[in-house]
Amino acid sequence: MGLVATAALIVNALPAHAMNLYKQDGVTSSTITLGITSPLTGAAAPGYNKVPYAMQAYFNYVNDNGGVNGRKIKLIIKDDAYNPVLAKSVTNDLVLQNKVLAIVGSLGTAENEATTRFINDHGVPRLFVNTGYSGFADATKYPTTYTVLPSYVMEAKIMGQYLQDNFAGKSVAIIYQDDDFGADALKGFATAGTKFVVKIPYASGSQADPTVVGKWISGLAQAKPDVTIMFGVSSATAAALGGAYKAGFKTQWLLGSVGGDGTTIATVAGPTAVGLLYGAIGASFLPAPTDVSDPYVAQFQAINTQYNAGVAFDNNVLQGMNTAMLTVEALRAAGSNLTRASLLKAIAKSGSTFASAGFAPLGYSATSHVGYNGYWFGTYGPTGAIKPNGGTYTLYTTDSGAGAVVKTTSKRPALPAKGLPNN
Amino acid sequence: MKNLWNVKRIAILGSTALALAAVVAIPSTASAAPLCDGKFPVQSCVGATSDGAPFVMQVPANFNGTVYLWSHGYRYNVDIPAAIPGIGGYKITNTPEPGPVVGGDTSVIKYLLGKGFAVMGSGFARQGWNADSGVATDEELITTFESKFPTTTHVIAWGASLGGFITQTLAEKDAAALSAAGPLCVASPTVEAELQMAGDFLWGLKTFFDPSIKAGNYSAGAAGYAEAMGDLGKVFTVLGKLQANIASGAWPDTAPASIHATGLDQIPSRSALLLLGLMAGIPTQSAHFDSTTGPGSPNSAAYTSFAAAASPALAILENGATAAALAVLVTYDVEQQSGGAIFDNTKTDYSARVASESTIFNAGLSGATATAGLLGYLAQAPRATANPAALTKMRSLAQWTGQVNVPTVAMTGVADPVTPAGDLTYLAQQYAKQWETAHKATLGKGRPPYNLIALFGLTPAHYTTFTAAGLPITTTPAANGTNHCNFNVKQYIAVADLLATASATGKDLAGGALYTTVRKMGGTTRDVKFAPALPKFYAAD
Repeated sequence: MGLVATAALIVNALPAHAMNLYKQDGVTSSTITLGITSPLTGAAAPGYNKVPYAMQAYFNYVNDNGGVNGRKIKLIIKDDAYNPVLAKSVTNDLVLQNKVLAIVGSLGTAENEATTRFINDHGVPRLFVNTGYSGFADATKYPTTYTVLPSYVMEAKIMGQYLQDNFAGKSVAIIYQDDDFGADALKGFATAGTKFVVKIPYASGSQADPTVVGKWISGLAQAKPDVTIMFGVSSATAAALGGAYKAGFKTQWLLGSVGGDGTTIATVAGPTAVGLLYGAIGASFLPAPTDVSDPYVAQFQAINTQYNAGVAFDNNVLQGMNTAMLTVEALRAAGSNLTRASLLKAIAKSGSTFASAGFAPLGYSATSHVGYNGYWFGTYGPTGAIKPNGGTYTLYTTDSGAGAVVKTTSKRPALPAKGLPNN
Repeated sequence: MKNLWNVKRIAILGSTALALAAVVAIPSTASAAPLCDGKFPVQSCVGATSDGAPFVMQVPANFNGTVYLWSHGYRYNVDIPAAIPGIGGYKITNTPEPGPVVGGDTSVIKYLLGKGFAVMGSGFARQGWNADSGVATDEELITTFESKFPTTTHVIAWGASLGGFITQTLAEKDAAALSAAGPLCVASPTVEAELQMAGDFLWGLKTFFDPSIKAGNYSAGAAGYAEAMGDLGKVFTVLGKLQANIASGAWPDTAPASIHATGLDQIPSRSALLLLGLMAGIPTQSAHFDSTTGPGSPNSAAYTSFAAAASPALAILENGATAAALAVLVTYDVEQQSGGAIFDNTKTDYSARVASESTIFNAGLSGATATAGLLGYLAQAPRATANPAALTKMRSLAQWTGQVNVPTVAMTGVADPVTPAGDLTYLAQQYAKQWETAHKATLGKGRPPYNLIALFGLTPAHYTTFTAAGLPITTTPAANGTNHCNFNVKQYIAVADLLATASATGKDLAGGALYTTVRKMGGTTRDVKFAPALPKFYAAD
């Protein structure tokens, strides 16, 4: 029996893992299959649940106009409920069962962190993640991940500069999510030299507890800041604004970019809550979704009307369509012989030239996985719509390190004809 | 959070026990040579190896020449007082097992016998951590069987847990004696590695929740036994208090005064429990808690917060009860074998252990500030120091290296709380290196066969269930991929079939036939790149 086994061992055979050597998961002659994980249910779903369907709408628009190199894009959407364990599970499904080529637009810092080992082991491109955690730009630790949002460090540095320019000498407080999201913010504010009269951390999810929110407001009331920065998700912003209103506490609110979407706040806290945004200052890297004079906004609104019927156009839809457009450009840049490797290589080579709605330049290169790097500031009106301060988009850019914050005059690439990439 | 969850009355701890498989009924007589009953269509033979291990062989009349050698898992080597929850009342036993038995169901053994295979297994000469003697027993058993049944052509070794360890060790040491090997829910390559997870968790329980837990360095003789049993009682008691306080977050009354003095008691105790689990490497999914599901509507605050904050802690509780019992009993066992304290965490950086997980489970940990506070406390706490001579002796015990010298089919669950799935990752990684070396040696003239199939049982995305009142249900069968060596009959049979093919052909099944077999198993992946995190013993984070 030993001889039998030994003799058999020397017989050549193709290893099991080599069976798919010349076949790329997620690509056929006529289709490209992509996947996304996002909260479709749960506390974080309002607002964010519009992102994947906006992406799907844009892909359908592209498909109806010939697809990418003759292939139609299919997007498989999985609900992760903003839960990292579930994100891990459904990402496994996307890769092992659905055989997607890449994950695009996956949302959340913890959720993306939870899937990193698996994504790395399988070499799956994870493109344009919907999180501003600066760590994901580490191309060594996250070799297949490309960020798109400016990092939270950048955002905080730029906010710090904005405070110096507009609220010099005023006292400042901050409420922040007590995780990597908030840690990035504190790092950026420290770099900018921003001093706080009080810093109020909260554990993600605890904003649902009224007693927690009550402690925020009492802390603010005690410190009496002129300006209060809310660096959290929209449900936390809604809780803070609502709590302050009820307590009669007044301050100049400065909202982080992920927590200032009016329609999301309306969904979370009711339509009247939008009024609480009135007068608050916010930051964004995309044009205002209500700015129909912007060609990207106008085009995406038209696509939304036709392919995403009945869904109100807001920052989430804009972000979803913009991410989808970047994805199409990346797929086109990878060429007809589409593989995971060629897709990653294409972004590294030409991603910085992709057309997109963002005002800030994209920083993709052979050594950088960083997306946008800048913000403009605006003020919310009574309907929750944000308009740029001074009537024009004044963009500040910086990096996630010690680099200076500068006002930039860079121009974004023009919208491709009909919003269909031609790169 | 206290109004959101209704978890006070759930029964978790009562269901906790290390896996102890039932055995097939066999004749009670044993002797040095096999005594066979000559029955038709299957005869049973019993006997004892030279080291006194009782064995059983079952051979069908249409024996096809291949025998499956089963190595059973860890059995305690001490009696457990009846008062201990879950495992109380256990009496030392060396009853032999000829194959896997699933909750009293002997279908797997019957299936093999029906196909003309013979089965055999022993009860080993001693219980406890017995890998050295277990391998020797298995070696002798093979010789004895081949002498008794000279038409034998193939021997397939398989086993679960410590039995998986023994199987892998045997396959590395005596490849020529085997035609295939099936280490299932294989224990870590060394007993030191195997005890790391449990030891870290037990030390954490002591440090945070009850300093009177001795947690190792047990005395010799009866005094040590009493200390270990005392620890078992304390561990289950404190876990019971943590369970009762999951919603309120209150700390057990046995927590050290310094927890209160430092203000750490303002952090929910469930967060501290979760942190202990994460730093030890205990899975955050357990038999009944998936860390993804809550009661009521998926859009409700209760659902979201239970899934994010309560469920991971309850999973650690359910898994940790097993891990802590293992820590006490195996530590006691191996200390007695090695002559002194064997657990040492003087150089362990628990912060590094949770660098990624503190982000992933931020909500359950109550935020980064709370996590830093808890880790800071642990960093200052007295550490456990091993006896150098005992460590040396422990490290001389049997170990496996990950060499695959016969076609091998391995399987484990991704949320196994005793033998982490990362143990199989380790095996796969070690073999991948071996295969690459062999591949290079061919100088481009072909590819050597890839002779390891690593199967991982996956957990469903959602499996926690609730009563109409929102109470989590803990009486249902453990979910796929959870619990220790929690395989169903279909999965065992699929592995047995894969081993039979490997044994007959000299190489593992590959390609479409393998995909089909694994798909039919259900809840299992054979993806070669699927690699759960290594145990913390091998990789800090």
